[in-house]
Formats: sequence, structure tokens, C-alpha cells
Amino acid sequence: MTGTTVAATDAASGLPAVPLQDTVLLPERIGELTGLDGFGLGGELLATFLAAFLIGNLMLAMTGVAGPWAKRKITAAFTDRIAVNRLGPAGLFIIVADSVRLLSKELIIPENADRPAYDLAPIVVAASALLGFAVIPMGSGLHLADPEVGLAYVFAVSGIASLGLVMAGYASANKYSLLGGLRAVAQNIAYEIPLVITGMSVVIFAGTLQMGEIVAAQHETLVEIAGISIPTWYAFVNPFAFVLFLIANFAEVGRNPFDTPEAPTEIVAGYQTEYSSVHFVLIYLGEFLHIFLGGAIIATIFLGGPAGPGPAALGIVWFIIKIWGVFFATQWLRSAVPRVRIDQLIEIGWKGLLVLSFANLILTAVIVGLIA
Amino acid sequence: MSTGLERQPAVEVTEDELEAIVGDRALARDNHLNAPGFVIRPDDVQDVLKDLRDEAGFDHLANLTAQEYPDRYESIYHLRKYADPTQEVSVVVPTTTDEPVSQTAEPVFRTADWHEREAFDLVGIDYEGHPDPRRILLPETWQGHPLSRDYDQEKPQLVTLTEHANPIQPDHHDDESDTMFLNIGPHHPATHGVLHIETVLDGETVVDVDPDIGYLHRCEEQMCQQGTYRHQIMPYPDRWDYVSAGLLNEWAYARVAEDLADIDVPEYAQVIRTMGAELSRIASHMLALATFALDVYGDFTAIFQYGMRDREVVQDILEDLTGQRLMFNYFRLGGVAWDLPEPREEFIEKTRDFLDGLPAKVDEYNDLLTANEIFQIRTHDTGILEPEVAKQYGCTGPVARGSGIDYDLRRDDPYGYYENLEWDVVTKDGCDNYSRVLVRMQEVEESAKIIEQCLDLLEDWPEDERTVQSNVPRTLKPDADTEIYRAVEGAKGELGIYIRADGTDKPGRFKIRSPCFHNLSALPEMAEGEYIPDMIASLGSLDIVLGEVDR
Amino acid sequence: MIGILKSMATTMKHALDGSTFTVEYPETAPDVSPRFRGVHKFSQERCIWCRQCENVCPNDTIQIVTNDQRQGEQYNLHIGQCIYCRLCEEVCPVDAILLTENFEFTADTKHDFVYNKEQLKAVPWYKDIDPLAAREPDRDAWVGEGEGEVDYQ
Repeated sequence: MTGTTVAATDAASGLPAVPLQDTVLLPERIGELTGLDGFGLGGELLATFLAAFLIGNLMLAMTGVAGPWAKRKITAAFTDRIAVNRLGPAGLFIIVADSVRLLSKELIIPENADRPAYDLAPIVVAASALLGFAVIPMGSGLHLADPEVGLAYVFAVSGIASLGLVMAGYASANKYSLLGGLRAVAQNIAYEIPLVITGMSVVIFAGTLQMGEIVAAQHETLVEIAGISIPTWYAFVNPFAFVLFLIANFAEVGRNPFDTPEAPTEIVAGYQTEYSSVHFVLIYLGEFLHIFLGGAIIATIFLGGPAGPGPAALGIVWFIIKIWGVFFATQWLRSAVPRVRIDQLIEIGWKGLLVLSFANLILTAVIVGLIA
Repeated sequence: MSTGLERQPAVEVTEDELEAIVGDRALARDNHLNAPGFVIRPDDVQDVLKDLRDEAGFDHLANLTAQEYPDRYESIYHLRKYADPTQEVSVVVPTTTDEPVSQTAEPVFRTADWHEREAFDLVGIDYEGHPDPRRILLPETWQGHPLSRDYDQEKPQLVTLTEHANPIQPDHHDDESDTMFLNIGPHHPATHGVLHIETVLDGETVVDVDPDIGYLHRCEEQMCQQGTYRHQIMPYPDRWDYVSAGLLNEWAYARVAEDLADIDVPEYAQVIRTMGAELSRIASHMLALATFALDVYGDFTAIFQYGMRDREVVQDILEDLTGQRLMFNYFRLGGVAWDLPEPREEFIEKTRDFLDGLPAKVDEYNDLLTANEIFQIRTHDTGILEPEVAKQYGCTGPVARGSGIDYDLRRDDPYGYYENLEWDVVTKDGCDNYSRVLVRMQEVEESAKIIEQCLDLLEDWPEDERTVQSNVPRTLKPDADTEIYRAVEGAKGELGIYIRADGTDKPGRFKIRSPCFHNLSALPEMAEGEYIPDMIASLGSLDIVLGEVDR
Repeated sequence: MIGILKSMATTMKHALDGSTFTVEYPETAPDVSPRFRGVHKFSQERCIWCRQCENVCPNDTIQIVTNDQRQGEQYNLHIGQCIYCRLCEEVCPVDAILLTENFEFTADTKHDFVYNKEQLKAVPWYKDIDPLAAREPDRDAWVGEGEGEVDYQ
């Protein structure tokens, strides 16, 4: 479980490159700090659990802020309103109030619900997003694992969510949920392929699937403009792929303009219709976790991960800023863009994005082949 | 911005020609205050109506009233022409009290379908040959017919569900087919009120749509029959189309009662009425746009909030003028309740500010709605309503004008101060959701033009001629057995009222012709064969208000 | 794509200009116009017990009880059932009942909303606005006044 190699010396300035990626992964660091690494395999496992606990809590805390508070504040800004501002400083205690309220609601389970699937679906939706965070390099040493197939792992794991959605849709014994679940799985399948293929074009640039290496490969300077060195973030190198990936990502997480699976004005709440209390909280948070996971993937493979001005220890801050940027973009689209119809959505996915992403891949391969 | 459609000049049909067309099927003449009436036999209904439609050109079944007298039941078919609504004819069909059966008019006018169901439901007349003789406003389990004379309010009105179909029982209509039956509403975020739509789906395609209304039935007609003409009925029309079109509804009642009792309205009051009505129309169209955006864009959309914000300004102006933001009770028979608020300049200034800010807001809506490509692909070529079909269903208002039918009662059957002002009727040829949205947005601009001109007139009106109400006796008792039907251009279409006076100070029969009722009955035509999202968008573009559909 | 970007730019403009259309109620009390129709206020000194308000009320909200000498004993008005149409104020010949702009009233049960004449007298003015002052020039628009035929039914 050793870490990756460090990036080379900065070519332009001659200064030693600031290592973005610690050679030490988080479990090892925790093991060192707590002295658990002296206990052999058991100690290592415990340290890994603690590290996963830390990262999971960090992500859940972010979704906790995003869901009840940030979404309302952002929507209010777009609609000329004052949103939550009573409870606590700037209304932040609404998070506590909302959590208590949601968890204290009655757990209503429809009579004909398919019980194991009905209960497991929210867990699948939430857990698949949390699993994806394991390999994301978040800077400041918060990197849980760095397998060599990191990117493929992330795509695979976040795809499990469609299974959760269809389980929720079918097991609820409700026609609205069924329609929502079917739409969700059709949408996810249609947009998974352009997403992965556009991700592959990044892999061609970086030459590796390992997340830490991809981040390190974006550290070099692309060009110097007015004294500010623009790093080789793949968003600047290939903005076309960046836009394609963004669109496919919005479709994957089910956000405007592609939020047909939970279209509130058509099928009430889609696959979420029959869920209340804890199940609903899991699905709701799971949706935000997926948005953040999508943001984390975009940040890692297109925006240089935790890169940013300042010392390496601030990496997590820049990373969080980038994730929140993607979240903010989803809220912005939600306020301004209508949703497409399901058949138009499938058309855009299979005819539009698929062709464009293949073209992007071939073009990237040709360019990299020519340069190398 | 009228289209290039030529308005077909309507052929003037004289009363002698009408008599010739109806011929000897007319048993008697029963003239209403505004239309020649012909009494015919119950089994001649289809022939007479067909002749009137094909030979004389009366293609708009405006209203079907059913009522019970001590010795008979009566169905009154009131026909008009889309090309010239000032030409009207009434066809009166009496039936016996012990067996009230009358021939259905549905093969001639599709809109008679729902009207006859309502007549059966409330009054008790059976229509022979009707394709779907179910109750429409009251639940299936209701006993009796409330508007008939022998209705006993003390007896139980509903039977228990054990004797009737259980609504939450899963029912498999047809186990062989692979269609799915889905109940949309009454609890649903997108139905504009409590509306229950029974849809049959084949995948995502809508195969069959059957709206089930009546959840908001508040017996408005009966309540108006229990109030005096002079004062007590006037608060009620506000509550039919309650989304800020209150003044237009009140004008419908004011117009019909003033024509019935032959009351004049001073010119100053007409100008104020026109201005207030157009402000109401703007507010109503803003809400229609905002809720349509909700249907297409999903929740948390900014357009809904911007629409509400703009509407708030109109409501503030109307609050200054009338005293309330939604239920105005401002018109009185013979004029309006009071003049512009003091100081006049401030009020006129405030309204002018609103009008000045309106083009910028309309531009904003254009940026957000009509210029948006995804909105265009969602609303183009969806919810198609052909003009001939629309005429068959009696659609009026922006729904009809979005299909190219050039019908606007403010111009064709003038009232108020409209004929002295410069404005255009907006029609579009698209017949789809997009053109209806465009019609509403442009009508807002036309209303702004009218209000601007009214403000100029009100500002310069000489001070001693500002009469807001003519002298009307405190009790109005129109002569017995006078009947009249009058309509105005409400926000949703032709809002008409039929009143039969029986010599007392309360109406004998008060029938409301609701435009949303007719527009909603055209939903199956618009939605079948398309997808669910298109049906929701079509429902939004019809802009129904359940208070008016169910009354 | 351009249309979508324009839509997004429009909403972003609203987000960035920082102004809100909503206010923080109840700290900022809204301005109501002087003609706003709120809770009624009744003055027994002025009332002549003519029962015009009771007759004209569209949904029988006012109940008046008099003794055999036609002296008023009770004047009950259900402010929860009232539709605030203002017809009672309009027909009252002596301005005994009028509608203040007050809209902030609460009760624990619906039955507490039946105000008798003491409670109606105690209704406060909203922000000390006397509604009659706003409507004074129009009081002569009261129905029935003038040279026309009047029917004292």
C-alpha cells in the first residue's frame, strides 16, 4: 500500500516541484500516529477502518451542508429570495433541525413492497457513492487507497447506483416508482458509455489509470501567461472532452436538464415516491454524494485534483472548492434549464454524446501519438 | 400581432332565415333577451342543431343549460358563431317531468359530451345516445340530483364504498393487454389543483386520457341562486377563476345582470373596469407562464419565482385600487365600487412604473423561455390541437387563439371601453404548446397597451364627470321568465353566464359557462399518442383553474 | 446552445445582484394599502340596529339579536367565516361597522373566532390607520343615493 512517485522538478521555474501526492497514504499515516502499525495485519485493518471513517464522515458532512442548507441558499439567490437565516449563524442550524425532522418521520412501508430489495435500495445508492471516494486523491494526505486501476474502479462502483435505482423503482410496488426506475436505468446506461470513453481520453494523456499518477501528470506547466503559470490541467488541454464529460456527468447523477427519473411534476418523485424517513434520507444524501463523487472525478481527472496555489497542505481546500463548483453548476442548471423528455434524452445520449466522445477519443489518440 | 389569417366575414343570418331553417320542427318561439329561441321536440335535437351548424354557420355551442320547472325539464342549447359571436340562437328542448329523456347533441358538437353529463349529474335529464352517461362533478356514489326541485337535502347523499367500487383496489381491466393504468392526481404536484386524470399508458406513450373532475365543486351555481342580484352574488365570481382573474369574472356577472335589468354604466366606470380587467389578465397570464415553467422545468425553477414576483406588483396595484389582493369584490352593478385611490397621481405613477418595467421583464422571460433550445424541443409539435377539433370542443381564449382561431370577445362582442382603444388580438398558427405560451406572453404586452391608454384617459378625465356608479335601486327584480346569456373574454376564454329571472330578487337559474371546462375536455385530443411529459406540458398550457372547471 | 447559455446568464444575473424581493416578516411589517379589507370594528354607539348588514351578508356571517323593543342585545360576527367582501360596511348608513386593515389575528379554535360586540369594538387599528379617512371622498358612492328611483325594500 505504498504511495505513488512524486512529480519531477518543475521544468519552467527550476524549483523543486511541490509534491501534491504524499507518498504516504492515509491508513499508513493513521497507523503511524496511533501506533497501530505495530500490531500487524489487525492493526493495519483497524487503521484503514479509521481512515475510511474519517473520509466517509468528511464527505457526509459536506452533503449534510449541501442538502439542507446550501441548496436552499443557492436557489434563493437565483430567485431573489432570502432563504434560511433564522436558526443559527446564517441559518446553519437548519441542518440539525432538518436531520432531526427527517429521521423522526414515520417509516411507512407499502404493503406490497418487495422487502429485502426495498430496504437495500437506499443503502446501495448511498454506499456506491461512498465507495467511490476511496480512491480519490483529495490532497493533504487524505487519500485512502491508490490501486493501479483507480479510475476504472471509480466508474464501476458509481455504476452500481443504477442497480439501486431500479431496485427502488421496482420494489416500491408503485407505478410512479416503476416508471422512475425504468427511466433511471435507461438514462444511466445511455450516458455511462460516453462518460467512460471520455474518461479514457484522459487516460491516454496520462498514460495510466492510477488516480494519483493522473493528478501528478497534471502538475506540469502548460503555458505562462502574464507571470501566472497555467498548469497542465486536462480541462485546459482538451476543453472539448471537459464539456462532454460534464454533460455526461450531469446525466449520470440525474440533474437538470436530465432529471427525468425523479421528475417531480410528472411522476411525483419517481423512484423515491414510496420512501420516507431514514430510507428517504439515505436516497437524498446518496444523490448528493453522487453529485460530489462526480465532482471529485471531474476535479481529479480534469482539474488537477488538489492542485492550487499555496502549500500542499491546503490541497484539501482546493479540492473541496472544485467539488462545490460542480455542485453549484448543477444548481445553476436546475434553475435555468428545462428537462428533456425521456426519448429526447436517449437520443442525445446514444446519437449525440456517443459519437462525439468516440470522435474525441480517436482525436486524442492521434494527437498523443503524433506528439509522443 | 394578428396572424395573416383572413377573418371570414360572417354571413348575417336574419331571424326569418332561422325560422326557415328550423322549419316546422319548432313547436314554439321562446325568445331570450339576446337571442331568438326555438322550442323543439327532444328527438329533433340532432337534426336541428346540425342544420343550424351547417346551413346557418353556428359552429360554437357556447352553453348548455339544464333546469327544472314545476311542469317540465328544459335543456337549452345556446349557439353562437366563432366568426361573429353577436349572432346567437337558443334551442330549447323541454321534456316531461316523470321521464326526462332528451336526445344527445354529442354527434353534432363534441362539447355537448361533458355538458350533458353535467346536466344529468346536477339536474337529472337523461340524454339518449350519449356515449358516456356518467356523473361528472359529483362522485359516482351520489344519490339524487341537487339542482332539481325534488332534491331532499336531509337524506344521505352518498352510499358507502362497500356498495360501490373500492378506489384503491388494484384492478386489472384487461389482463391480456400490456398497457398500464395510472392515476395522475388528485394529489400531484403538476395538476393545477385537484384534478384526477386516469391515464392508460403503453410504456411512456399515452393511450387514453380521461379527466375526472369535481373535486373542487363548491355548488357555486346554487349559491348564486340563493343570493340577491344587487349585492350578494358579486363576491362569488371572484372565486371561480381564483388566480387573480377576479375582476374578469366579476365583469361577466356585471355584464349579464346589467343587460338583464337594463342598467347603464357611466363611461368613467367603463374605463376603470377595462383597466382593472386588463391588470387581472396580466396577473393571470403571469401565473400561467410560471406554472407552465414549473411543469416543464421541474421544481426550484427561477421562472416560477420571477413570475410570482412580477405578479406581486400587479397585486399591489390592485390592492390599492380594490382593497384586496385576490378576491376583489370591486365591480358593482352599474359601475365600480369606488374611484381611483387618493392621491390619484401616486396611483397612476405606480401603475406607469409597472408598465415601464414590463418590457424588460418580458425580455427576461423570452431569454429564459422562448429562446431556450431545450424548451423549444419540449414544446414544439407537442399537444397539437387542430382548429377544427378546437371548435368542436368549444375551446376559447388563448387555447383557441394558439390554434389560429381568431376569436376574442373583447373585439367581436364589444363591451367596456375596448372598442375605443387601440390594441390587437394575438393569434398564432402553431396549434402546439409553444404557440399557446407565445400567445399568452404577447397578450401581456397587449394588455399593457390597453392599460397605458386607460391611464392616460383617467388622468385627464374632467373632475366633475367622474361618476363611478349609476343609480341603481337597492333591490333588483327583473321580470319573470326573462332569460339571457352573456359572456366576456375571461383570462382563460369565454366566460359566460346564463340567468333566468323568476320575478324575485334572486336568480331562478344561474348557469356558469366556464372556459376551462371546455378547454380541459379537449385534453384527450391533445395528449393521446404522445408521451407523459407532453401530456403534463399540454395540461399546463391549457392553463386550467379547477375552481372554474368545477365551480 | 446559445439559448441555454442565455437562460443561465439571466438567472446568474439575479443571483449576483444581491437584492431580494422578499422581506423578513414579521420584523419588516408589510405596507398594506389604506383600502385593505381586514378585521371588522363595530361601534355600538353608532349602530341603529337596522339589520342591513345582516341581510346583505352573502354567507350569513353576522347575527344580530334584539329584544322586543328593537334594542340591540347581541352583535356577533364570525371573523373566520367572513369572506371580507365589505358589503356590510357599504350598506351601513351610519358607519357603525367598518373593516380595518388589521390582518393579524389568531385564535386557538375556530369557535374563538366568533367575535361579540365587545371584541369587535376592541379590534385595534393596523398601524393606526383609520380606513374611513382613506375612503371618505367615496362614501357618497353609496348605493341608492341620488335622483333615481329608489326602492326601500
